[in-house]
Amino acid sequence: MSASKRYSRSVVAVSEIQDVKSVIEEQIEILKKRNNEPEWMTKLRYKGLKAFLEAPHNDPILKDPLDFVVKAQNDVYPEVKSLEDLPDEMLSLLERLGIAEVEKKYVAGLAVQSDTSIVLNEFLQAWRKRGLIVESMEDAVRKYPIVKDLFMQLFDPYESKLAAYHTAVWNGGIFLHIKSGLKVPMPLHLFFLIQNSAMAQAPHIIIYAEPNSEIHLIEGCTAPILLRHSLHLDMTEAYIGEGAKIKLSVLQNWPEYVHTRPMTRAKVARNAEFINTTVGLGTGKSNIANPKYWVEENAYVELNGIILGQKDFYVDLGGEMHLQGKGARGINASKSVIMDRSTVITRGIIRAQSPKTKGHISCDALILNPASRMETYPGLISEVDDAELSHEAAIGKIREEELFYLMSRGLKEEEATQLIVKGFVDPLLKDIPLEFVVEIKKIIEMAVSGGM
Amino acid sequence: MEKLLHVDDLHVEVDGKEIIRALSLTMDRGEFHIVMGPNGSGKSTLALTIMGHPRYRISRGKIEFEGEMINSVPVDERARKGIFMAFQHPEEIEGVKIMDYLSILLEKVRGMDRKEAREIILEKARDVWFTEEMLLRHINVGFSGGERKRFEILQALLLRPKLLILDEPDSGVDVDSLSLISLKMRELHNNGTAILLITHYGRILQHIDPRIVNVHIIKDGTIVLSGKEELVQRIENVGFKKVFEECGCSE
Repeated sequence: MSASKRYSRSVVAVSEIQDVKSVIEEQIEILKKRNNEPEWMTKLRYKGLKAFLEAPHNDPILKDPLDFVVKAQNDVYPEVKSLEDLPDEMLSLLERLGIAEVEKKYVAGLAVQSDTSIVLNEFLQAWRKRGLIVESMEDAVRKYPIVKDLFMQLFDPYESKLAAYHTAVWNGGIFLHIKSGLKVPMPLHLFFLIQNSAMAQAPHIIIYAEPNSEIHLIEGCTAPILLRHSLHLDMTEAYIGEGAKIKLSVLQNWPEYVHTRPMTRAKVARNAEFINTTVGLGTGKSNIANPKYWVEENAYVELNGIILGQKDFYVDLGGEMHLQGKGARGINASKSVIMDRSTVITRGIIRAQSPKTKGHISCDALILNPASRMETYPGLISEVDDAELSHEAAIGKIREEELFYLMSRGLKEEEATQLIVKGFVDPLLKDIPLEFVVEIKKIIEMAVSGGM
Repeated sequence: MEKLLHVDDLHVEVDGKEIIRALSLTMDRGEFHIVMGPNGSGKSTLALTIMGHPRYRISRGKIEFEGEMINSVPVDERARKGIFMAFQHPEEIEGVKIMDYLSILLEKVRGMDRKEAREIILEKARDVWFTEEMLLRHINVGFSGGERKRFEILQALLLRPKLLILDEPDSGVDVDSLSLISLKMRELHNNGTAILLITHYGRILQHIDPRIVNVHIIKDGTIVLSGKEELVQRIENVGFKKVFEECGCSE
């Protein structure tokens, strides 16, 4: 990957770096002991630490990498066995995402992941017997040899300080393994609840879908429970086997002090399908992501981004698709609703590397406030003759005539605007279960009326 | 008793250009008025001004609805007072499903609950040939001319306005849809809705009982001729062209 781009433009003095080094070392030792980790994992963590000292750092918002390396804290929350055991602050966060409500109505397939263990409901326990493995990453590292072959195969710690830091101190996350041919009909809901404040928020997720398997994983990112943490750094590696059909939907509703840097990558084998939807309702102070996908023969990848830019949030959603196999297809579609003083940037890249590949980037934005800002940079790169690549972008305000039409029926300006905004994002919510769509729309309604 | 609609010495400007001048028009509750006139005579401007479009500026005169001056009342409040306009060119609104929209309309404007709203929507929609499946389409997106006009009348049927303004319901519409729209318009009228029908072609007159209508001919932004049944009959007998010529308002 990009290890060759390594350079050291270190902005910190050695003595400070040395402090950070010892903080990270301490965390690695704690994790190693707590998790009773195999040696290969500890080695990998130290490789991450070494990379952290050398890797480049070019985050436009988090200028100083030392700011986000957290020192150990001693607060520990009580252990969580079910949602009822959660501290009030976590419950209120779940409620903000509508998860508490949804959970009541829609309990099948709910897994709550706390620091090192995972709470599975009966549905999941039944499916486990048929070949669906949902394990906390800590346990998976010990229990399944395959994890060693998959862990950090799609990333290189040397590509950035953030990737390196994650490698060194990752904790939490899940290992999802779907056996060959297994089709799980219900969406699997997973909620991360990271409680131990001594740790950085850096869950690691591996999706290992064997050929012809099917599942829809919904992640509710309610992790920023710990108010003292300002950075969330999750990493997702998806290995989609031949003919498998996998959906990954991520619902984010971060509080406004959190910076999030989700890192997602997927290898999509022949004839497989991977649909990755990201709904950023509360995107935090800043959210920068550049997921990458390697798409084989006749496989299909979709990245759908729904972004609600509020307050002074900064959102930069990239997305790189490498159409490597003949007939591979990719779509990168985003819809942004931008208000207040927020900035939203979208920059998808589709690289056609084989014949008969097809790629499309579409970027729509609805700007509700003149102080908000939208930038879009579609990138289409063709390395072959007969690829079909296209892009479209539409950035605009709500049209006066549209608003007049709805208001002429008696809807107030706010009600009419909400209706238009919900209609605008609706097409990209097609893969999200209705229960969530209802809650998502409620959050959008609230934001729109607050932002007017 | 106060009039339903009282337009008095109305002058309207659009982008600084005067379109309506010294226009007066009075309607009682439940009456049926037809405004006819050539292209560019100010018919649609009159309709949009009564509805409250912000681009149409009243420079002189007033509009009263049920005795209250509404010159500066915003469009949504006018709608809630009971004014409804069926547009000549209804807007397309991407992504907004008809069913969701109509439900919200009935909830917010008529205070119905969701279940009640759903039932009445399905019933009224069937009446204007909208199947349940069609209610999942987006507002006016990809609609034929007839569908657009039938969707306008559907919204009127649901909201049951005191005053229904129809802006050229007979343009760009198929024969069957026109009969249906006329039927539904009469149904609303029989239930007490006053109708202000704006037309250029007069096709729709064949569907209306001439005994109940008041006709106004508009030219250059003002009403030049008003009459009742006999004016309609005259139009039917000799055609528009002749009547326009006689009043000096031919195209």
